[in-house]
Amino acid sequence: MAELTSRQGGGRAAVLKPQVYAWVQDYGVYAAVLALLLFNVLFTPHFLDASNFRTQLVQVTPVVIVSLGMALVIGTQGIDLSVGSVMALAAALTVLYLGYGWLPALAVAVLGGAVVGAAGGALVAYVGVQPIVATLALLVGVRGLANVLVPQLVEFRNPGLIALGSSAVAGIPVIVLIAAALTAIVLFVVRRTTFGRQVVAIGGNRPASELSGLPVRRVLLTVYVISGLLAALAGVLATARLQASDPTSLGQFIELSAITAVVVGGTPLTGGRIRVLSTVMGALLMQLLAATLIKHNLPQSWTQMVQAVIILAAVYATRKRGSR
Amino acid sequence: MTPHVRTAALALAVLLTAAACAKAEEPQSAPAATGSAGRQVVQSPSGTAGPTCTLQQFGGTAFDLRSAVVGFSQSEKEANPFRIAETKSIKDEAARLGITDLRVTNAQSQFSKQITDVQQLIAQGVRLLVIAPLNSDGWEPVLQQAAAKKIPIITVDRKINAKACSDYLTFIGSDFYEQGKRAADRMIEALDGQGKVAILLGAPGNNVTTERTNGFKDRVKEKAPGLTISFEQTGEFAREKGQQVTEQLIQSNPDINGIYAENDEMALGAVTALKGAGKEPGEIRIVSVDGTRSAVQGIADGWLHAVIESNPRFGPLAFETAQKFLNGEAIPDKVIISDRDYDTGNAEDSIGEAY
Amino acid sequence: MADDVAPVLEARGISKRFPGVLALDDVSLALRPGQAHALVGENGAGKSTLIKVFTGVYRPDGGELRYRGGPAAFGTPMEAQRAGISTIYQEVNLVPMMSVARNLLLGREPRGRFGVIDAAAMYDEAARVLAGYGVETDVRRPLRALGVGAQQMVALARAVSVDARVVIMDEPTSSLEPREVETLFGVIGRLRDSGIAVLYVSHRLDELYRVCDQVTILRDGRLAHTGPLAGLGRLDLISLMLGRDLNEVRSHGLTSFSRERHAEAARQPGDAGRAPARGPVVEARGLTRRHVLDGVDVSVRPGEVVGLGGLLGAGRTETAKAIVGALPLDGGQVLVAGAPLRAGSTSAAIRAGVSLLPEDRKAEGIIPTLSVRENIALAALPALGRAGVVSEAKIDRVVEIFMRRLRIKAASPHQLVCELSGGNQQKVLLARWLAVRPKVLLLDEPTRGIDVGAKAEVQALIDELAGEGLGVLLISSDLEELVEGADRILVLREGAVVGELAGDEVTEERIMATIAEQADG
Repeated sequence: MAELTSRQGGGRAAVLKPQVYAWVQDYGVYAAVLALLLFNVLFTPHFLDASNFRTQLVQVTPVVIVSLGMALVIGTQGIDLSVGSVMALAAALTVLYLGYGWLPALAVAVLGGAVVGAAGGALVAYVGVQPIVATLALLVGVRGLANVLVPQLVEFRNPGLIALGSSAVAGIPVIVLIAAALTAIVLFVVRRTTFGRQVVAIGGNRPASELSGLPVRRVLLTVYVISGLLAALAGVLATARLQASDPTSLGQFIELSAITAVVVGGTPLTGGRIRVLSTVMGALLMQLLAATLIKHNLPQSWTQMVQAVIILAAVYATRKRGSR
Repeated sequence: MTPHVRTAALALAVLLTAAACAKAEEPQSAPAATGSAGRQVVQSPSGTAGPTCTLQQFGGTAFDLRSAVVGFSQSEKEANPFRIAETKSIKDEAARLGITDLRVTNAQSQFSKQITDVQQLIAQGVRLLVIAPLNSDGWEPVLQQAAAKKIPIITVDRKINAKACSDYLTFIGSDFYEQGKRAADRMIEALDGQGKVAILLGAPGNNVTTERTNGFKDRVKEKAPGLTISFEQTGEFAREKGQQVTEQLIQSNPDINGIYAENDEMALGAVTALKGAGKEPGEIRIVSVDGTRSAVQGIADGWLHAVIESNPRFGPLAFETAQKFLNGEAIPDKVIISDRDYDTGNAEDSIGEAY
Repeated sequence: MADDVAPVLEARGISKRFPGVLALDDVSLALRPGQAHALVGENGAGKSTLIKVFTGVYRPDGGELRYRGGPAAFGTPMEAQRAGISTIYQEVNLVPMMSVARNLLLGREPRGRFGVIDAAAMYDEAARVLAGYGVETDVRRPLRALGVGAQQMVALARAVSVDARVVIMDEPTSSLEPREVETLFGVIGRLRDSGIAVLYVSHRLDELYRVCDQVTILRDGRLAHTGPLAGLGRLDLISLMLGRDLNEVRSHGLTSFSRERHAEAARQPGDAGRAPARGPVVEARGLTRRHVLDGVDVSVRPGEVVGLGGLLGAGRTETAKAIVGALPLDGGQVLVAGAPLRAGSTSAAIRAGVSLLPEDRKAEGIIPTLSVRENIALAALPALGRAGVVSEAKIDRVVEIFMRRLRIKAASPHQLVCELSGGNQQKVLLARWLAVRPKVLLLDEPTRGIDVGAKAEVQALIDELAGEGLGVLLISSDLEELVEGADRILVLREGAVVGELAGDEVTEERIMATIAEQADG
């Protein structure tokens, strides 16, 4: 292929480019993470410390968990803008029910996330509201609800919840282990279960899936419930780590980070394809990028600009692939 | 299909009522401050400096505050201690003075909403407007309407870029630049003028951020050339962001000696980060601005070195100023509050006064 | 018509290579003004690639493209179109949400003062132009409100009205009704008279012989034959296309339905036959939907192929969709083996053994983002695993069986289905349905837009499946296919069954007569 490129020059571009784009879409995110790691190893002091990797992994955890759900939703050609508000709701519910102990509080928070997901899913699957509209309504409404429940930041002392956010097993923070386990579960669901196959089929061609007898509505509903569930869990973990419940600002704009992670990971917004590990890599890439710029004390506006460039590149690669 | 709409609505209703059987942790903090504790004190007594304004100059007519419609436009939702205390102070003081018709609006951090809020208040016939502006610019349409009806406007905590005594009456607030300078003094004192300091900046593009930063930097340059500011990143005035940035910072700059946080929330986030990294209280000195109760508690616990107060209790001073104005007295074009500070010497005793 | 006229568009020794494939190998073709030139070949012969070279989508790797007497190199389809080469594709390439008039005149709308579009003038102009193509419709309605055939005519009208010197038509009749086909041929005649060159790509031999002067046959990327069509017999043409022995083709007939099974099936209703249970396996009663279906009764017995005849919009596709529960009904009932089917549930229909191969392969059939393997396994997934976890081994087995049985040509089961030819995509969809072991298959235009070889294979497969006892409901616009494939034919018109033909009555003439009779009365 390389030989063809050099020999035939411009005229061949029309044929070869799609493969280049496909490669960028499939492996670009891994290459970018590697490049960024290499840069940091060379130019960032103390980068190779174990504590640094811990910091990066811990910080990226909420985004990873949320984007796992987001990847499923995007796989069905949908989008879930409500995830950040669901995190806030989970934070509020956690602290409201902490009097019963941290496990019951966690259960209530996750249940709350599932209920919001079910509301969004029902609107999308059964009423036929466009995902962006349905979940935008929830983004506004659920954040408001969270603020009504807990109007201002509340600190807590529950040792169990604090331990969830700050303890480690064999040097690996518990919340990172949880994120890794969730990634493995979602990977299994996508690759090995009937449900996972149906999700991508529905995203790839909904009328065809309906004619093929797939339970399209049930699958869509389930996908949004899973997204709500994961977002709520991310909210509880972020709250545990912050040692305070902050429904006002927790999870703000995380839907954008999650969508970015999914897109940068090569999952097209047009649905029909889900790339779980690449999504995690996409989240890591964005985290590393932010960390790199912070560590080199560059202004935040730089991070945003570089992020914008990466998103554009990712979307461009996906678009080329899609039009092949 | 309608059953599904009903299901969705029902689900949300269940969530709403879920709060009914909630059971939170027992509260741990001290009881709320009562009475006039933590009242604002004017730094520059009226009439001593700068131009002043009288009812005559402004061109309005006197009226009785108690029977008048008074409007208060809050900029951000009451979700942080500062805004909560600010709104509460205005309401409490109005009640104390017997002002029965106080109309309060909240712009939810949307500037366009604040403009409509104020326009509606004007349409409702308010005689006095107290505004906590979200932005300093863009107020022309509102100011014109208010000026046409000769409604005096007092802006609190943030200034409006317009002419005092004609477009608006006066501004009451803290001097953010001064707060930065005083924070720098405390940092210099804590580190003996030597070492490396990091700044957790507020939200970008906000004049509070700019002034608190400039005041701090100018003072350090002037008084302690041995103190280097080796790191400055935004924590967006939020606890979580403050925690994340601090985690990055102490990992890549382990030799840092002090952190200047431009509000208490970021400072408390930094404390969580330091705890997580296994640091001891006082190992890295933290100075912040605001004076919330949690931060003052942080001083008592040894994690914070000092907190410069930014007093949100505008009620008494705002209505006092208005009353003076209506009585025909001259009002200065800005009323700067003298903010106190908290440190290890007074933290434990003052917790009750913090907001 | 004279061959000595200088060609307007000419390919000289064109080669085009894709990674691993030589798609075109030294192909020459000359289009002359005022001639209709047929381009035929099986899928993969290189027709699409050649068209894309002509229209500026691809640049050739070797050879020369000449246009109006000089060398030509179109960088983009837009350049080719501006130069006067218009193309009409199989899939209508317009904006469905915009009005018919806007679609027709897009970019050339009549403007009033200040450059504002003059809507009234635009609608008048559009209505006038479309009347010339036999399309009578409210041009203010969105394009998607039109039937596929009418949409195609709009696309054609648009392409031709753009000052074209060459018009390339890729399967233009595949979604047209006979009446619309006549209109199209009229248009082609006018184009020829006005000195425009037409390149006509089609699998329908009747059409080629009716409208084309010249023919070029491609096989495996090479030129198999080029010359006047008049002297070339049908069987010669097919043998050149397929590269098969002429006698072999002759012995197969033109379609691949076997006459023996046909005759046998025709006898079935009377005597007890091969199978003991001869009651209908699926029976639809009084299917009704406002404006669409009006009390349609259809039944299919095991091993029987029932054809649905009628014009576009007569309710054939809708009948099939209604049977599988994909079309909401106002009335009617579907029974499978005597038991009523839950209304509106496609999955219930599939579980009961009734499956639909939809008409629009791309929009309703394949999942383009998935592989051949996943597409085949899709409907059968619940059966190919346990407790919601799929068994890769079971899937592999099923996929392998059907890829072999249906001779699906793919690089591997993991190739994306959208990369296959139309014929192979259709086979993948057939495999998807066979994998769920249906009792009845509803086939809506199963051979539309696929190459001759695949068409023959699909037809033979239908025969074979019916022979094994599967009930088939066959919808086809190809009368020949319908007549040779079906044991019994129901003729639909305006959503109602207007006639039933069985045995010797099953002829093209009788179908046409049934439709026409009713149209008069």
